[in-house]
Amino acid sequence: MHDQRMGIDSASTVQTAGLLERETALDSLEATLVAARAGEGRLVLVSGEAGVGKTALVRHFSDRSAPLRVLWGTCDALFTPRPLGPFVEIAEGAEWLRATLDRGGRAHDVVTSLLGDLTADSPTILVLEDVHWSDEATLDVLLLLGRRVASVPLLVLATYRNDELASDHPLRRVLGELGRSRATVRLALEPLSQDAVVSLAAPHGLDAAAVYAVTGGNPFFVSEVIAAGGDVLPETVRDAVLARVALLGPRTTALLEAIATLPPRAELWVLEAMVPESLVELERCLGSGILTEELHAVRFRHELARIAIEQSIAPNRRVDIHRRAFAALESPPAGEPDPTRLAHHAEAALDAEAVLRYAPAAAARASSLGAHREAAAQYARALRFADGLPMSARADLLVGHSFECMVTTRDEDALASTERAIECYRQLDDRLKHGRALTWRAQVQMNCGLAPAARQTALDATAVLKQVAPGHELAIAFCVLAGIALLSEEAGETVTWATRASDLAARLDDSEASLNALALSGAAAGLRGALEGTAQLERALALARESGYENQVGRDHVLLAMAASRERSLARMERYVQPGIDFCDERDLDVWGRILLATRSWLELERGDWQAAADTATLVLSQDCTLSCTQARIVLGLLRARRGDPDPWTPLADAADVAERTGLLWWTSQVAAAQAEAAWLEGKPAAVAGATAAAFARALELRSPWPLAELAYWRRRAGIEEEIPPDAGGPFAFQLNGDWRRAAELWREAGCPYEECLALSEADEEDALRRALDGSLRLGAGALARIVSRRLRDRGARGVRRGPRRATRANPASLTARELDVLALLSDGMRNAEIAERLFLSRRTVDHHVSSVLRKLGARSRGGAVAAAKRLGVLEDR
Amino acid sequence: METYVILRRGGWRTADDLRDAAERSTAEGERMPDDVRWIRSYVTAETDGRVGTVCVYQASSPEAIRRHASAADLPVDEIVKVADTVIVRPDPATVAA
Repeated sequence: MHDQRMGIDSASTVQTAGLLERETALDSLEATLVAARAGEGRLVLVSGEAGVGKTALVRHFSDRSAPLRVLWGTCDALFTPRPLGPFVEIAEGAEWLRATLDRGGRAHDVVTSLLGDLTADSPTILVLEDVHWSDEATLDVLLLLGRRVASVPLLVLATYRNDELASDHPLRRVLGELGRSRATVRLALEPLSQDAVVSLAAPHGLDAAAVYAVTGGNPFFVSEVIAAGGDVLPETVRDAVLARVALLGPRTTALLEAIATLPPRAELWVLEAMVPESLVELERCLGSGILTEELHAVRFRHELARIAIEQSIAPNRRVDIHRRAFAALESPPAGEPDPTRLAHHAEAALDAEAVLRYAPAAAARASSLGAHREAAAQYARALRFADGLPMSARADLLVGHSFECMVTTRDEDALASTERAIECYRQLDDRLKHGRALTWRAQVQMNCGLAPAARQTALDATAVLKQVAPGHELAIAFCVLAGIALLSEEAGETVTWATRASDLAARLDDSEASLNALALSGAAAGLRGALEGTAQLERALALARESGYENQVGRDHVLLAMAASRERSLARMERYVQPGIDFCDERDLDVWGRILLATRSWLELERGDWQAAADTATLVLSQDCTLSCTQARIVLGLLRARRGDPDPWTPLADAADVAERTGLLWWTSQVAAAQAEAAWLEGKPAAVAGATAAAFARALELRSPWPLAELAYWRRRAGIEEEIPPDAGGPFAFQLNGDWRRAAELWREAGCPYEECLALSEADEEDALRRALDGSLRLGAGALARIVSRRLRDRGARGVRRGPRRATRANPASLTARELDVLALLSDGMRNAEIAERLFLSRRTVDHHVSSVLRKLGARSRGGAVAAAKRLGVLEDR
Repeated sequence: METYVILRRGGWRTADDLRDAAERSTAEGERMPDDVRWIRSYVTAETDGRVGTVCVYQASSPEAIRRHASAADLPVDEIVKVADTVIVRPDPATVAA
């Protein structure tokens, strides 16, 4: 039925071309499967340009791995992909997964189902194709799998195009995080060599050198050129595909165009409704190899072919095809219509009414699945068609858009939509919604670091809300004002607003607002170091958790971590930071999760785990979010300064810009202290006075003990003679008074090795200075080490080490000083409780150190860690 | 990416040790292609008989260099950012180690 050339060439050439020169890649895949069989799963990132043969490779590998179970899911090439699209596809043949998705399961539920369905004796291969198109929830699944895969019999093969990843592509962040895991394997596929192209093209009488020149060795392009035949070589992939399709005859066109507008796969029932008269051509298209068959569906064998066809459709017919796709999808033979797909076709069909019907529904669905980026895009889509809507409906869409933008930390977009919504409600004179939107805007402004503006907006909100019967909205506006006062460290004002909120909440019997107020007034005392305040905040947190006020739970974790962080109470930080991150991750509370992640980088820095601090800070910076990025920049600046690495000043200057804009001591004091420390380490004490002046003055006004002591300390160390502020508190206050010995002890107890060295470096006795030097070298604190060793040599000390070389050599796993202590006791066979007692640490902290030691040594047991440490020579050197 | 010079003075006892390290360095570099690119190295003969290196890398940040070094178990004495490159002559031919 079709000519001989197609019968022989197309399908087989595509496959042959896709597998030429792939022996090494297949060997790598085989090795990962061997590991997965042993219960040590792997996540393989298969990358390469479009058409290089990623699918062909993965398909061939999974076919030859039969009878192993293969789960195959493809990400949609829709402008706004379906949430969890690949898993929806997998679920069609997997009851256990369908049940999870039908329940509205999110990323972590999908992972739980998946891991729960693995069998120990036979590994599963999970293929996720084209993850450069994946929705946010699918990326979350990928991340979670990356963390868990190492200990389960699972092989994840994720393919993506690396030629189309912009620097801010969401996949980049995920790749960055996955890349740090030992269980991740990267497989980059290169185009074919000239020899391979010759071997493919020569048998067809084609000028092989010319084919190579035009295709660059891209296997898909090569196979299309061969399949297209003809005397003139097509110059682009598109030309090649269209030439080849022309051979199939004009009657196939309508069918192929319909399939091309239904990525990633066209169900037969949709095609039946769309192009009933052309379905007879399906066999011919399948035979030519341009299409491939799936369960009740077909798709283009290659995405490049689909795009070529889609782009060749004339604009007027494109609208018509999408209209027919929309009509077909709106009445499926079973189940509910899919709003994401309908919104996509409605927009392409320029059907405003249909967009407004389905895009908000698609947004709500995406949001509930944690795909907030897609939700924001669906609201934006609806807004593009919303000119004819009543103003109130448009304003509601704007609020939805603003919320999704804020959750995904797109602060500026969130702010813009909020302002437009406020204007609508104002014109409509809808005071309740107007006041509520103003309250929301104040919160967004706080997240953008615009504290003074936020305060004014929140005051405006209360003014508007007082014009209607006082209700929940007004109570929340009071809470927002209390929150702003809290971060401004105005304890009195915080309590005033919190009290007004809680009085109103009591009258309304509004437990959410009442717990919110309880938390804020507790935090105000906690931030000033009052333990009863922290206890109150903890109580509010527990109650909010019981009542399911998730946003508040996330926020309260942040407040608790802040109070602990200011006092360098690392043990308390441990209690809130990671559990808070886990809580927020599972519920997509990015706003709080990102801040907590940034706080974790600070915790890691202070704990002496600098590698982790750098990794975490870098991870935070991969997503644009004003406040968490500011915290990460402070950590990065300090880290570079302490290590003696280049360029501590750029991140600190960026952080200073934001800090200044907020005018909050919380930020200005951190930045000023970091800049002062960096200047001092670089031997430029003259810069300290200017860097600290404003923050120091503010700390004096607010009488905030810790920032006051730290800033005064750096000023004194830079040679500024001034009175010691009476309110100064914490170990820095001892250093200010010359008691470095007591300060060093306190820092040691707090678990802050760098600050301990810093205190010891002030000593005028050789023994303490040597301890400072050893400690600095062990941390990799090159800058402080240089300063201390110079002091030692000036004193005439002998045999002073100059560099970190020996420490690094002796400690290949880059364990921290504390972890080395723990490891030594582990090797004596001590239990965690005994180690805790010996080292004067909490059980929890020791648990943490032990798991960190295991991770760094790549060991799964304590015995394994000790063996690995001996092998690496970490233990003998002590 | 920025260009950096990395000093690893006297990092290895023998040329064999250095060769092993170079293999690890390449392997770890392949794991983070978007963050570090090893350009070239000069092997230094130290006075105590050890060998070291002066390396030229391109990297997304100093942290990426540290991470690579720690993963490949390479020492780092100092990282210096390169402001500009002046090439007068091509590198001399490789000397067999």
